[in-house]
Amino acid sequence: MTDPVSAALGLGGYQPLVPALLLGVTALLVLLVDTIWPNEQSNTLLATVTIAGSLASLLVAGAQLFLSPEAATLFDGQLIVDGMSLFFTVIFTSVTALVALASHDYIAERPNQGEYYALVVLAATGMTLLASANSLVTAFVSLELASLPSYALVAYLKDNRGSAEGSLKYLLIGGLSSAVFLYGISLVYAVTGTLKLTEIATVLDAGIDGSLTGVLGIGIVMILGGVAFKTASVPFHFWAPEAYEGAPAPIAGFLSSASKAAGFVLAFRVFLTAFPTSAVAGVDWVLAFEVLALITMTLGTFAAATQEEVKRMLAYSSIAHAGYALIALGALTGAADRLLVGAGMLHLLVYGFMNTGAFLFIALAEQWGIGRRFEDFNGLAKEAPVACTAMSLFLVSLAGLPFGGGFVSKYFLLLGTVLSSSYLLAAALIVNSALSVYIYARVIKAMWIEDPVPGRTIEEYPTGLYAAVVVAAVVTVLLLPGLALFTDPAQLASNALF
Amino acid sequence: MSNPWIAIGALGVVAVAIPLSMMAISSLLRPRVPEQGKTTTYESGEVPTGTPRIRFNIQYYMVALLFVIFDLETVLIFPWTVIYRDAVSTAGLTTVLVPMLVFIGVLVVGLAWAWRNGAVRWVRTPRRELTTKRES
Repeated sequence: MTDPVSAALGLGGYQPLVPALLLGVTALLVLLVDTIWPNEQSNTLLATVTIAGSLASLLVAGAQLFLSPEAATLFDGQLIVDGMSLFFTVIFTSVTALVALASHDYIAERPNQGEYYALVVLAATGMTLLASANSLVTAFVSLELASLPSYALVAYLKDNRGSAEGSLKYLLIGGLSSAVFLYGISLVYAVTGTLKLTEIATVLDAGIDGSLTGVLGIGIVMILGGVAFKTASVPFHFWAPEAYEGAPAPIAGFLSSASKAAGFVLAFRVFLTAFPTSAVAGVDWVLAFEVLALITMTLGTFAAATQEEVKRMLAYSSIAHAGYALIALGALTGAADRLLVGAGMLHLLVYGFMNTGAFLFIALAEQWGIGRRFEDFNGLAKEAPVACTAMSLFLVSLAGLPFGGGFVSKYFLLLGTVLSSSYLLAAALIVNSALSVYIYARVIKAMWIEDPVPGRTIEEYPTGLYAAVVVAAVVTVLLLPGLALFTDPAQLASNALF
Repeated sequence: MSNPWIAIGALGVVAVAIPLSMMAISSLLRPRVPEQGKTTTYESGEVPTGTPRIRFNIQYYMVALLFVIFDLETVLIFPWTVIYRDAVSTAGLTTVLVPMLVFIGVLVVGLAWAWRNGAVRWVRTPRRELTTKRES
């Protein structure tokens, strides 16, 4: 396990934690830079430190993922670094790097840049730890580390009413669902007498007193509530449209991609490790996830169809995509479990790039000050063809057409639902994807076919934002052949978790 | 039929019924003498001045927040100092000292940042500055 480099650094047994440690050190470095020059706009330096830190973490996590897939537990089993936590660390760090790159232009003229970058990296640290959490308490603490910076980041434009309102709603619903989640943890602890996920599974496998099944069921449902908040799934989704709309657009991308993936890694870890379906026969959480997935994707898609503003449409489409990813847990019948979980993970990976890219395009539009409604994007392709090509790619990939990685991950999800005979979910996936083609096509039609808005001139083409959008688009496209040819979702999931 | 939940449910019904019935009965029995003085916010003779929507000075909050962080730090350091000598003799100096130094270092970075960015600078309110100027 220990190689010469980490031995020389004195890391020893902590080597698997290097990605998370790198992110934490990056956050401290950002604060140090801001401490040394508090009154200067050191935007470029701060962004460079942030991007370098997250890319270093991405490289280490990627290398660990390819070189040593076997799991390592740390701190007496409180943390586990395995294929799944490294896979999600790759998602979090790439989104963080993209968002930091785009933010360099987005917040160039605004105050409090040190806080901004530090909070982004701290949230990413929390998500990385959440991916490695192997006990309910570690999961809760890292969930809070990921959430608290997010509340502040949504309110970053603090003179903007929408930003403050979105942040307040996010904070209130977040506080409520944290309390629900914590109460669920306490009930599960009351039944099983342990907080470690693997030990919970052992206790449940051995069988519990029949009169405690009700308490366990309530506990599991409450934990599910906490997960639903973080993934913006239906009963706890009310914060999402307001928070995404009010937040600075790069932060909206960060929250709807990385933060959502963090919610899913928590769901996968807790429900598959601690409450395997064979052990909790009395509590049918798969059915709960199936209902959640159905309602979430349908409500998200239909609400997106009625929106007049592009950013809000993307916010609802992000809710719909949470529904698609929930299929991974809602269709578990034992027939194609590994395929489903692997497909869910892949969907979140692709989503991390295509959805972040779409929100970064909105950031670009906000920089140009061209307005929020669909009509405001009319004819934009004549003035900004590169950005509009990238945005069109993101949208067709989000819709699931075969021009981007979104097609492959949706295909794997569909395959999983069919193999496990969850035909209702399969039908919902197809119908909602078909409807979403129409929703996304509205933006594409406005950009490419409609006549340009008269009197609009775009004066500057911010380099960082453009670079981030183009990188996200290139990765989205490359993931199509990459996933189709080189990945076996079942293999990925069994390396990761099973 | 001796389900204990029946007793708990009855207790809940009584608990809700008592305050509701007390309010209802007293509103039926009490004499009504409307008077202007009773509608004021504080019925203690104090006449309210100005609107309640004023901005409070947030500086106490910043100091309190910093206090909470270092309060928790103390909670962790105290047991550590108690076992320090024994732990060093069994586990070695680096294993015992380095993690605590890292922990304090992280907090020091945060404190230095807060200090440099003015979290503990005591800004006086404009009115207060006005009076001090007049005094001098």
